[in-house]
Amino acid sequence: MEHQLLIQGLSKSFPGVKALDDVFIKAEGGRVTALMGENGAGKSTLLKILAGDIEADEGSFSIDGQAQTYKTPLGAISAGVSVIYQERQLMPSLSVMENIFAGKLPKNRLGMIDYSRLRQDTEDIIAKFGLAIDPRASVGSLSIAYQQMVEIMKAYRRDSLVIAFDEPTASLAEAEISILFGLIERLREAGKIILYVSHRMSEIFQTTDDVIVLKDGKNAGAFMTSAVSETELIRAMVGRDIGNTYAGLDRNTELGAELLTVRDLETDKLQRVSFSMRQGEIIGFAGLVGAGRTELARAIFAADGIKGGEIIFGGEPVRFRSPKDAINAGIALCPEDRKEQGLVLSHSITKNISIPVLDKLLKARFLQTAEEEKLADEAVRKYDIRTPSVDKRVVELSGGNQQKVILGRWTNEKMNTKLLILDEPTKGIDVGTKAEIYQRICDFAKAGIGVIFISSELTEVINIADTIYVMRSGKITGKLSRGEATEESVLALAMKADG
Amino acid sequence: MKKQSALTAILKAKSLTLTVAAAVVILFFYIMNREFLSGNSIRSIMNAMSLSGMLAVGISILLIGGEIDLATGAEAMFGGVVCAAALAAGMPIPVAIIAAILFGAVAGLINAFFVNVLNIMSFIVTIGMSSIYTGLAYYLTNAKGINVSGAFLKLGTTALFGIIPTPFIVMAVFLVIYAFILRYTDIGRAVYMIGGNRAAARLTGVNPKRVTTIVFVNNGVIAAIGGVLLTARMHVANPGAAASGALDAIAASVLGGVSFAGGAGGMGGCFIGLLLLNAFINGLMAVNLPTYFQLVAQGALLIIALSVEYFNARGRQKRVAAEARELMKK
Repeated sequence: MEHQLLIQGLSKSFPGVKALDDVFIKAEGGRVTALMGENGAGKSTLLKILAGDIEADEGSFSIDGQAQTYKTPLGAISAGVSVIYQERQLMPSLSVMENIFAGKLPKNRLGMIDYSRLRQDTEDIIAKFGLAIDPRASVGSLSIAYQQMVEIMKAYRRDSLVIAFDEPTASLAEAEISILFGLIERLREAGKIILYVSHRMSEIFQTTDDVIVLKDGKNAGAFMTSAVSETELIRAMVGRDIGNTYAGLDRNTELGAELLTVRDLETDKLQRVSFSMRQGEIIGFAGLVGAGRTELARAIFAADGIKGGEIIFGGEPVRFRSPKDAINAGIALCPEDRKEQGLVLSHSITKNISIPVLDKLLKARFLQTAEEEKLADEAVRKYDIRTPSVDKRVVELSGGNQQKVILGRWTNEKMNTKLLILDEPTKGIDVGTKAEIYQRICDFAKAGIGVIFISSELTEVINIADTIYVMRSGKITGKLSRGEATEESVLALAMKADG
Repeated sequence: MKKQSALTAILKAKSLTLTVAAAVVILFFYIMNREFLSGNSIRSIMNAMSLSGMLAVGISILLIGGEIDLATGAEAMFGGVVCAAALAAGMPIPVAIIAAILFGAVAGLINAFFVNVLNIMSFIVTIGMSSIYTGLAYYLTNAKGINVSGAFLKLGTTALFGIIPTPFIVMAVFLVIYAFILRYTDIGRAVYMIGGNRAAARLTGVNPKRVTTIVFVNNGVIAAIGGVLLTARMHVANPGAAASGALDAIAASVLGGVSFAGGAGGMGGCFIGLLLLNAFINGLMAVNLPTYFQLVAQGALLIIALSVEYFNARGRQKRVAAEARELMKK
């Protein structure tokens, strides 16, 4: 008989929200079961309960008919459940082999770690997955993709029966994704029960066998992947048709004057990068992870120093000394890592929105808190941020709402943003909110704002941007216009061999 | 948009338990010894609070901004020495005080330099600076201290209505002013933002190095003023004074809810922490506990208070969660 994970009547409440409400899930061994839903649908909560991070209020679950009652991460591991989160759970200064066997290092007769056996056992596992990794390499020196593979091997080593992936491809480039899928395929062949959380439609159809859709913490449909269409899945997730996401966009058709020209920009990571854009233009930057797109954004924004080249903004050569100078000139950056770089998580929505305009909120040297709150109220209304209060700490908001707080920060009446740099603005954001953000990007362009749109999701870059630049190893390797760019042509430029 | 309800605000107020604790401590010692709330005893509590209070104001702001100054006691002491030396050299009182303040500002700049330019952790830098000031002070005063006399002493020995010591009033004024600065100015807000997330603050237009420099200089100046007041109260600038100043100030701040990790806390909590700690220490003296056990009890108070606060916070979270569940069911 195939293995089976059965979850029944699972409920969990947090202050102000019922994250899971009587959820039923059945997943079988040897199959990949996708878990889909908008942000806030309850997927993360479900994974956290599975991982033993938090306790459910009600409900039960069983593996192969055996009821599970563990309440700690350690309990989850011994019950055979591994959850692979977006944030790696590895010890970066230790080696690959030490990480894979953490908690179960082989010992010799003297009770010391048996390194030769450790290495042999690790090599066996690596070979089983057909990878090429040095067991002695420190995990911190590996790329994000390889770190993830180490985590998968760790789950495999633990003999986990249930392996759950939380948006495993969020920070991987296309080429790395195919390696990941190869690994998942092996796990499937080994008869494991695999749960797969992702927002990317193409992956769902490529790798999964079943799809379970959650909406607002409740079951909203269960399908066989082969018998369901994208439209049906989206309808189940959002509860309405959002049609073709891109065709319905209200785009900007009039470009204004020259806004930004970058000439031969050089930094530690960038080599002679040149491009230019006009007011109201959306330019996309595509490429693999590590191609230098984030570095380019940070160089323009003066977050990192530049070594050479020229930036002409609004017709004048500029040399910003700090992000503050860039902001004063009208440039805004929504960084890739919202939590680490974008927000002060322990503070309120209001305080996060007002940071760049604090000096404009002063009257006789004192902050006008009523006016400050008005800015936050406006952002909440304009972007439909789901929160009971502007005093809510941003750490308690979902990823999509956090992103909206950042957009609200840069586009309120006190700001004079002329160039908006969006670095992976839809990363980890649900389908419904994604469509909202796409329209916002077009709205910014219509208002004459220039938008630099960096994304690793090919479909969105080639469908949103007016002009698409492709980067590889710190260089621009191609420029395509919307319409001429296809996923294939962009990928070819992104991966083009040197020469 | 609705504001948070008064109930949640109270539940969230970290200092509530501490206020209650302070009241209980005061009541307990009053019952044990009626002398505890006599004029003399109150004055001595206030005197004790004045120096550690000045230091706690500066330290709280540093902690909120994600930095620390373990030399703050030594900076206070050295500020006192500078002031006393200037007076001994025949300089007028205002000039001597300004000399001390200048020393404090320079000490702050030195700390900021190592932290901002050389990227050394403030914890380490200030351990080193503390040792340097202490050693220098012993050398410069021949390990004897510098006596002060005359009108200068009024700064430390007079009292409003014969009960509230001048140093306490100065401390209270600083506390109130900084409460406003933290809450209602852009620089005050910037301190919270860099303490909460330095990288994000920088990318939103805050200059973390500038803010860090300001809070270090601010701390040095406040410490030096505290040292001047201490010197006036003690009639002497003693190189051994305020040796535990930094740790006492940090204890009071953290007890009052200032986050050791940065980004959270305020002057109100800081004051309650001070009151609790000093009332407790004085109370132990009032019940004639031997000095050595006073130290033991003082340490135990800090640890117990923070443990209680931890359990309270957990309880609050559970209560709020349960409330939410109830609301959902309706």
